[in-house]
Amino acid sequence: MKDKGTTLNPRSSEPDKGKTFSRREFVTSIGGVGIGAVLGGMFVSSIALPDKVFAVPASGGYLLVDTKKCAGCTSCMMACSLTHHGETNMSLSRIQITQDPWGKFPNDIQMAQCRQCPYPACVAACPTGAMHADPKTGVRTVDEDKCIGCEKCVNACPFTPSRALWNFEEKHAEKCDLCEGAKFWDEVGGPDGKRACEEVCPMGAIKFTKEIPVQSEDGYETDLRTGTVWDSLGFGGAPQSGGHLG
Amino acid sequence: MSATLWFNSLTWLVWLAPFAGILAAGVTKRQDPRIEGNRVLRHDTAAIVEHWTHGIATAVLLVSGIALGVLFVPALVGSGRPLWIALDIHFVAVVVFLFGTFYYGANTMLALKRLREHLPTSDAVEFTKRHYGLLLGFKKFTMPPERKYFESEKMAYLMAAATTITIIVTGFVKVAAHSLDVPAGLMSIITPTHDVATVVMLAFILPHIFFAAILPSSWPILRSMFTGHVSLDYAKHEHAGWLAELREADEQGHDGANDDSPIAPKRVA
Ligand code: SF4
Ligand code: SF4
Repeated sequence: MKDKGTTLNPRSSEPDKGKTFSRREFVTSIGGVGIGAVLGGMFVSSIALPDKVFAVPASGGYLLVDTKKCAGCTSCMMACSLTHHGETNMSLSRIQITQDPWGKFPNDIQMAQCRQCPYPACVAACPTGAMHADPKTGVRTVDEDKCIGCEKCVNACPFTPSRALWNFEEKHAEKCDLCEGAKFWDEVGGPDGKRACEEVCPMGAIKFTKEIPVQSEDGYETDLRTGTVWDSLGFGGAPQSGGHLG
Repeated sequence: MSATLWFNSLTWLVWLAPFAGILAAGVTKRQDPRIEGNRVLRHDTAAIVEHWTHGIATAVLLVSGIALGVLFVPALVGSGRPLWIALDIHFVAVVVFLFGTFYYGANTMLALKRLREHLPTSDAVEFTKRHYGLLLGFKKFTMPPERKYFESEKMAYLMAAATTITIIVTGFVKVAAHSLDVPAGLMSIITPTHDVATVVMLAFILPHIFFAAILPSSWPILRSMFTGHVSLDYAKHEHAGWLAELREADEQGHDGANDDSPIAPKRVA
């Protein structure tokens, strides 16, 4: 098949008269223009575009936990796993309750729930945008279909244990979404709905708030006891040093 | 291993590689197959570069891709750090693969005869029956006068081309997802499609390696993928149809194999 347009004649190497562009010239130009466009685009974006600003909307709500009220029954973990995964598997729960058998009350229990951080390091670390703030509710959550399993989010979460968790069964990251995506639950979840862990906790140790709580390295300054029977036990009031908080 | 995934920090290389392949094809002068005494030039340097960049990169992509986890296969590298390494290896192979594939594609556009010689003809079923019947030891079959590529290879070519295009298109979307907000719904189609194409590609490459590299009767052709030449005897036996075409072209002073060839093939040094 002959080139369209001017072509090098196989015998003569003379261009055909009256035509302007050979297929080879066309292909070479596409390559050259394409390379120029990619390199030019990089150059322009490096000088013309401002440095990326990482900004995400605030979460539409936060889970507060009070370890002094927690009895360590792990009902919340089972509820979390059940409503999100359809099975009661503690390892799939997005809230993790850990108990120190040698610890003394109130330091024997840690409740590890996602803080829905104002600056979510997990979201910032994700290379694919799978970990993101839901545009409607601001809840920090994972698009499982976009997750490539790099676990950057798991490593980035500043808390121990990481509140961004690895779903070892389905091979993707997962985290507390305030039950927005609890597909095995017939209740409406999310900031304007219900949260399974909060619903089942027999001790009232988990509460939901729409106000941004004060956050320290240890957790939120949480007191879910004042005004309850805990006052008479001497454990009401502001958090006491040493007592681990939400 | 990089702190940032190369798919994120060096994404531009993925977009550059296809154009580099196209540009390289534009400035490449091809040589057409020809009889040179008792040997036959089967592959010019460009064909060798196309084959090995595409082939080696495909193998690395398959190994790293499968390690990363495809449909039905658990992710062998688990997650976290080993996965970053596998992804970076995948990235390098992607760049080489794109260069090689687009180099091939553009070279083919420049000489559509090269595409036609890869397409099955009406002899496909008959030749394949005779060829493989003979290979399996059935005496009643005789070697058909295969052309440059066996008819069976040509049928596989069509499917391999479709698979390659699927892998590239879905792969581009997966790369784009590292810098753009690609909808999760689209990704839920793209990722399994990429995975299925990977499995299909594996189903091609394993028989290809067997028939083109492991089977002793194919060693001359494997050697030609490095040297460019096969012996005249080999061509006579395995590719009688192709040899006849070359002889005919030789007599006419032009083999017609490369429409873009600037000078007659006999005079190419
Ligand atoms: S594991 Fe998934 S969600 Fe977490 S950073 Fe990697 S891609 Fe993002
Ligand atoms: S997973 Fe960690 S970093 Fe991300 S929002 Fe929750 S607490 Fe913050």
